[in-house]
Amino acid sequence: MSAPSGTERPARPIAGGAVGASPTFADVNRDVLRTLDFPGSAYFGWMSLIALILATGIGCWVLQVYFGMGMAGKRNPQMWAMYITTFVFWIGIGHAGTLISAILYLFRAKWRTSIYRGSEAMTIFAVMTAGLFPVIHAGRMWYAYWLIPYPSERFLWPNFRSPLVWDVFAISTYLTISMVFFIVGLVPDIAALRDANTGWKRFIYGLLAMGWQGSDRQWRHYRRAYGLFAALATPLVVSVHSVVSWDFAMALVPGWHSTLFAPFFVDGAIFSGFAMVLVLLIPMRRYFNLYAYITDRHLDNMAKLILVTGLVLTYFYACEGFTSWYSGEPIERASYLFKWVGAYAPWWWLQLFCNSVAPLVFFWRPARTHVPTLYVVSILVLIGMWFERFNIIVPGLAHGFYPYTFGTYIPTLVDSGIVIGSFAWFLILFMGFIKVMPSMSIVEVKETIPHPVRDGHAH
Amino acid sequence: MAASTILGVFAHVDTATRAIRELRARSMRSIATYSPVPLDEFEEALTGHGLPRSPVRLFTLVGAVTGTASGFALTIWTALKWNLITGGKPVVSIPPFVIIAFELTILLGGLCTLLGLFVTARLPSLRLSPRYDPRFSADRFGVEVTCEAAERRAVEDLLRDAGAEEVRG
Amino acid sequence: MRDGRRAGEGMDRRGFFRIVGASSAAAAAAGCGKTTEAILPYVIPAEHIVPGAATWFATVCRECPAGCGVLAKSREGRIVKLEGNPDHPVNRGALCARGQASLLSTYDPDRLPGPRVREGDAWRPVLVADAQKLLVEKLAAARQAGTGRIAMLTQLETGSLGRLADEWLKAVGGRPRVAYETFAHEDLRAASLAVFGVDAIPYHAFEDAKTILSLGVDFLETWVSPVGYAGAFRRAHALREEHSARVIHVEPRYSMTAANADEWIRSLPGAEGAIALTLLRLVLESRQIPALPAKEVAALVAAAGAVDVEAVAKQSGVPVSKLKSLAEALVKGAPSLVVSGGVAASGSGGVDAAISVNLLNYALGNVGRTVRFGPSSSLSRASRYADVLALTKAMAQGEIAVLIVKDANPAFTLPARAAFAEALGKVPFVVSLSSHLDETSARAHLVIPDLTPLESWGDYSPREGVWGLLQPAMAPVPKVGPTNPDALDLPQLRAVRDALGRKAPETFPGVETKATGDLLLDTGRALVPGSEKTLFLAKSFADYLRESWRAMAKTVSPKAAFDGFWEDALRRGGYWADVPATKVALRAGVKVSAQAPPLDGSATDPALLVVPSSRYYDGRGANKVWLHEAPDPMTQVVYGSWVEVPAETARSLGVQSGDVLRVESPHGAIEAPAYVSETLSAGAVAVPTGLGHTAYGRFARGVGQSPYALLPAEPTAGSGGRRWLGVRVRLQKTGRREKLASPAGVTEVDHSREIFETVGLTEAVKLERGGKAPAHANLPSMYPDLKYPQNRWGMTIDLDACTGCQACVVACQAENNVPSVGKGDIDYGRSVHWLRVERWWDRGHGGAAATGHAAVPGGIGVAQAAETPAAGRPSARFLPMLCQHCEVAPCEPVCPVFAAYHTADGLNAQIYNRCVGTRYCGNNCPYMVRRFNWYRYEWPAPMNLQLNPDVAVRDRGIMEKCTMCVQRIIAGRDRARDEGRLPRDGEIQTACQQTCPTQAITFGDLKDGKSRVSRLSGSSRGYHVLGELGTRPALTYLKKILREEHA
Repeated sequence: MSAPSGTERPARPIAGGAVGASPTFADVNRDVLRTLDFPGSAYFGWMSLIALILATGIGCWVLQVYFGMGMAGKRNPQMWAMYITTFVFWIGIGHAGTLISAILYLFRAKWRTSIYRGSEAMTIFAVMTAGLFPVIHAGRMWYAYWLIPYPSERFLWPNFRSPLVWDVFAISTYLTISMVFFIVGLVPDIAALRDANTGWKRFIYGLLAMGWQGSDRQWRHYRRAYGLFAALATPLVVSVHSVVSWDFAMALVPGWHSTLFAPFFVDGAIFSGFAMVLVLLIPMRRYFNLYAYITDRHLDNMAKLILVTGLVLTYFYACEGFTSWYSGEPIERASYLFKWVGAYAPWWWLQLFCNSVAPLVFFWRPARTHVPTLYVVSILVLIGMWFERFNIIVPGLAHGFYPYTFGTYIPTLVDSGIVIGSFAWFLILFMGFIKVMPSMSIVEVKETIPHPVRDGHAH
Repeated sequence: MAASTILGVFAHVDTATRAIRELRARSMRSIATYSPVPLDEFEEALTGHGLPRSPVRLFTLVGAVTGTASGFALTIWTALKWNLITGGKPVVSIPPFVIIAFELTILLGGLCTLLGLFVTARLPSLRLSPRYDPRFSADRFGVEVTCEAAERRAVEDLLRDAGAEEVRG
Repeated sequence: MRDGRRAGEGMDRRGFFRIVGASSAAAAAAGCGKTTEAILPYVIPAEHIVPGAATWFATVCRECPAGCGVLAKSREGRIVKLEGNPDHPVNRGALCARGQASLLSTYDPDRLPGPRVREGDAWRPVLVADAQKLLVEKLAAARQAGTGRIAMLTQLETGSLGRLADEWLKAVGGRPRVAYETFAHEDLRAASLAVFGVDAIPYHAFEDAKTILSLGVDFLETWVSPVGYAGAFRRAHALREEHSARVIHVEPRYSMTAANADEWIRSLPGAEGAIALTLLRLVLESRQIPALPAKEVAALVAAAGAVDVEAVAKQSGVPVSKLKSLAEALVKGAPSLVVSGGVAASGSGGVDAAISVNLLNYALGNVGRTVRFGPSSSLSRASRYADVLALTKAMAQGEIAVLIVKDANPAFTLPARAAFAEALGKVPFVVSLSSHLDETSARAHLVIPDLTPLESWGDYSPREGVWGLLQPAMAPVPKVGPTNPDALDLPQLRAVRDALGRKAPETFPGVETKATGDLLLDTGRALVPGSEKTLFLAKSFADYLRESWRAMAKTVSPKAAFDGFWEDALRRGGYWADVPATKVALRAGVKVSAQAPPLDGSATDPALLVVPSSRYYDGRGANKVWLHEAPDPMTQVVYGSWVEVPAETARSLGVQSGDVLRVESPHGAIEAPAYVSETLSAGAVAVPTGLGHTAYGRFARGVGQSPYALLPAEPTAGSGGRRWLGVRVRLQKTGRREKLASPAGVTEVDHSREIFETVGLTEAVKLERGGKAPAHANLPSMYPDLKYPQNRWGMTIDLDACTGCQACVVACQAENNVPSVGKGDIDYGRSVHWLRVERWWDRGHGGAAATGHAAVPGGIGVAQAAETPAAGRPSARFLPMLCQHCEVAPCEPVCPVFAAYHTADGLNAQIYNRCVGTRYCGNNCPYMVRRFNWYRYEWPAPMNLQLNPDVAVRDRGIMEKCTMCVQRIIAGRDRARDEGRLPRDGEIQTACQQTCPTQAITFGDLKDGKSRVSRLSGSSRGYHVLGELGTRPALTYLKKILREEHA
């Protein structure tokens, strides 16, 4: 089919204005099912490259398990470094999805319909990636399961005062609820796949569709339940990254011990989350030719969100600086100053550029729909957000209370390899997903386009 | 006397809705619909009011309350098991336990909602309705009505007149 | 210790020790985690060895000539720890870092397990019998060739072994034995002879002095008897009844001893003599000296005679005013004590300095009071350096047919110029009886390794009136290994493992050799017909020893029955009696010169100060990995040596710390990384001794550089001693860099952080009169105070007492199975030390105590235009940092699995088995004292036998830290419970506390109001490190007292 180019305005504005030249119900099914066609060589080329990177990462991890944590560059005082950085980074990425699907759903922001499936998938996979890191990070990862409360013969339970245990609960809850939300949203679409396929595919999709047939009874409870999920997920989104931020805020380390952290982290998470959504959707839109569904309107909205969250983040940076100065606490000040001029200063300034300066370009309307700009800025934001976490953790620990142990952490091949491998792991999951499941919601897109009527409106 | 079920397949929302209204006008009560998207029109036509009512929320409430309770129970009980003092804080230190309780509230709330959905929507079910048509997940709407054998013909006509592309038993 | 009697019957004791040893190997392996070895039951139930209960044997530390008494802790037949013998008059229960580490020479994986014969460059193991036969043949042949062709070179042996060796040499017609000590302090002997007609190194009673003036003497580090003198120093220096001795140190270099003095006066190299003589003159002029016979006064005046104060001030760099105030201090602060003869200052002018100091002490009336000739040091019985040279000459000229070397390593410690190695090559048959393959033994033809002191009988007398007794505390080290049978050994990963330097499983064959004493008796009998009836009657050296003690007993306690005497000596670790100071008189016509002879090399080059290392001594410490891992007290450098360069010189050379310098003297050259020093006197460079080995085991080989290569061969005129201060060196940048590895990050004292606190003397006195504990020690908390049902263990560390000597660090490592992680990892902040002694630089309020000086041409110091302001120079502060066992511990609540929690008796516990390794606690500890096991660390066999069975060996991936020696607490509690009482105060001692030469550390129960620790932690000098964080540590530090306002 000849796709209308992404830049041309919709033929006629319609409900929520989400969709361009308005397709019919049939078009929607066709266009979405098309994305599940057997992929070409380009797809497999990319996949094998990513798989190679992932294999390298796994190799590094094996070395670390076999020889000990010393293989990674950690040291005193940086007992935490890139693993926790990347953990927080991925948790942050995992925010946009549920935010879009839950909060925007409650706000009835119709433009979300064509992008929420993709971002939800991103959320799930990001959290699954993040979940690896606490395990990779643990000195005796083979005992990491001790953090999970389970009845043992010694009645040894985890220490519920420890923020790490809060993490276990927050993240596993977040993952579970997001998945339920995600799967429930998928069911009607899987039913569509079932009906459109034959043979073993039909059988498998049939099982997954759990006998969905879009009857009035099913729809009734479905919509109710969906609303409730959204209502539950919303506070969860906010709580998860707050809890993660408390890993730091609960600690004594200068620069960590701050009430600022919860909102600071949540905002940063949304910020980076939307950047990641753009990074994934823009190529997807092109590859699957979904210009009719993912339009400039979407890009524009997300650019705006990035801009706003970016400004808020900048405000938090200012707060961080102000509080450490206003505290009058020399150790606090020294630690903050170290970020500006110390061994890690370049990364600090890089972070400021990526997170506070680069997004400002979105004040300029054309930039918000100009794909290359969007793409570059999103990538910068991701880099910036990774380094934000790095700059909280590594320099923070490098310049704590006790000068005698001040020191500089230098990454090794092993921890770098594992971190890079995690990106490969995420991409493999995502790219695998878009070929077996509809990466755009059939049902919700249909909801937003005019329903087929013969003579005027039903009422 | 044998009852028989008739299915009308519609291409349009308005025609299907009209069919439902007329069926209800003939005081037909056992009407079911199939649609690719949830439709307020159908909801209204079937129930007389738009908003879907559902007992799912009760499940959610029960789940959430259980979650909160079990959250506090777990943390306090396990803390008392060993009475380990850390950081000079009381063995039963409530503020951190609130977080656990909160997470469990959401978790159990969510899972019970899922359970509620399954129970109320009769999911998962292995067998689809014999009259279910694959096009219902694409761009067709089905109106299914169960009536006395005697009324069969009349209902079929009604559906056809309403604009059903196809009517089958 | 009720083992005295059994200790008597040497052989059968060894017999069952073998069995015990064999099984204990398994026990030890069990100590280091999972093992597949079977643990054998005792074949013969060993008397007085209760599994799980320690047995203690009193013996003597032979790591240096000080001869401190030690108690060796035996567990299942192997010695796991050494501790100072509290009854011993020399060290009074304390031990230095070297003493603590000396244990490792027994468990050195590279020690020789049995006799070896050289074949080309290879060693062939031989049976003891064959080795002895070969030796006897060679000796017989040498005797045929005539007398004086057999020579023996040993370390200082002042006991029965020395006597036996001498008798043996006489019997076989050998040359007189050479007892070689690297630091023999010949200058002191020469001076005593010149001034008092006694060839001896007197006992210096630091403890009785009110004013101590040290002219370049490192009496806290290596000098004569460092542990004993450190304790004495502390007893004099401690603030008691508002008084404490005043300690002044004059030296070009800011040594550890200088850092512990109240005032450090930076002089120019070699000026000690001139200063002493000037002081003598000023003291005499003061007319306030005790009454002396007129002719003695005349002699003194004559000696002091011509010295020109102005000139000396110029030459020494010490201003006249300062000299005057020094003299005044000495006169006013009687009894005083002036010491000289530190290694770095002996050599050119060393004898004159020592003579002047003797005269000065005499004038001040110290001789007989603080300078006592009765209990003289046994070092005066060591051979002079000149005698060693003579032997070398004889060897070079082929006069020696058989040379026997034992525990002396001249091939390493003599100046390269002395060409000992070459001379050794001229000797047809060289026999080494050393237990380790050092540079000298490596050149031998036959090695019959002696057992280590822990495995041998023997005795040693460190000074008159003290006879230390050595007994075999354990059987020779048994067969061991492999050390980690469970270590996965995937061939695919070997390359990586090797790249990482991880060890493959190792084994140790087990020691099978003959003790030197027994060897001498047997060979003597074989060589000298009939001697088995007379001279070599004793059937074993044990008997010989016993007999010689019988003889001694007759003189010292004629009445007592010998058996009782002997058993008592075994139990106490020897016999000692007070020796009164013998009266000495001033000799007439003592000549002394203020002008030191010039040094070799061009006058514009800096003088070389050879600094005896407080860790490696003359080099014999270098094969002990614990000493490598403990940082140097002043530079905090681990592994490797350095060239200490004054900042000025460094600037002019454009050198920074870590740049490799070529140091060239007229006699040789070395290349070592620079350590830029803000304190070292311009016109000097300093190089520590002890490293730069080419043999002597895996830990010593190839680490660092040795200054011996730079020194002149010819001895000091007048004393026949080494010319330690003898050369000037030319420095050259090589362009290479070699980072000095150190665990230290930033060590500038930041007064905005509550880390190292000081208090002025007057203030301290005020506080002592009636200050109260600082308020913030217990900041308000939101939570109710913790209840401690029984005890609350706590500790105090008196920063005024801590000298920074690192003894506690090594003791902790020995007690708690702390792994050695290697140079790279220590430098990268991965040291696992539970306790570190940090050296901080304090430039805070007014900078260093030292006074500045202008370096002037003419003196020994080199022409340096710029004058260094004293204020620019930092003072060193020493802070032992370990787990503070906080009551409100930040590390505890963050642990997700309760691995860290607070015990009912106030300990901050770490449960290794529960630890998952999230390292959150490590981040959250403001003191950064939590340690992580980055790898699985190895103890190459037989080092694993040293592991303390009471302490778990931690696996990789877990956190660990100071436990306040919980195993000792438990042992103490159990002992008390068995005796149906509560633990007494001071009964339980932590390892660090036990070994501290200045008793800076006190441990005890804070709940018991009468305990010493609770008194001290309530002290008005007390404070908590980072106290404002409100962590409520169980450790209280007592502020260091700055006594500078004396000056």
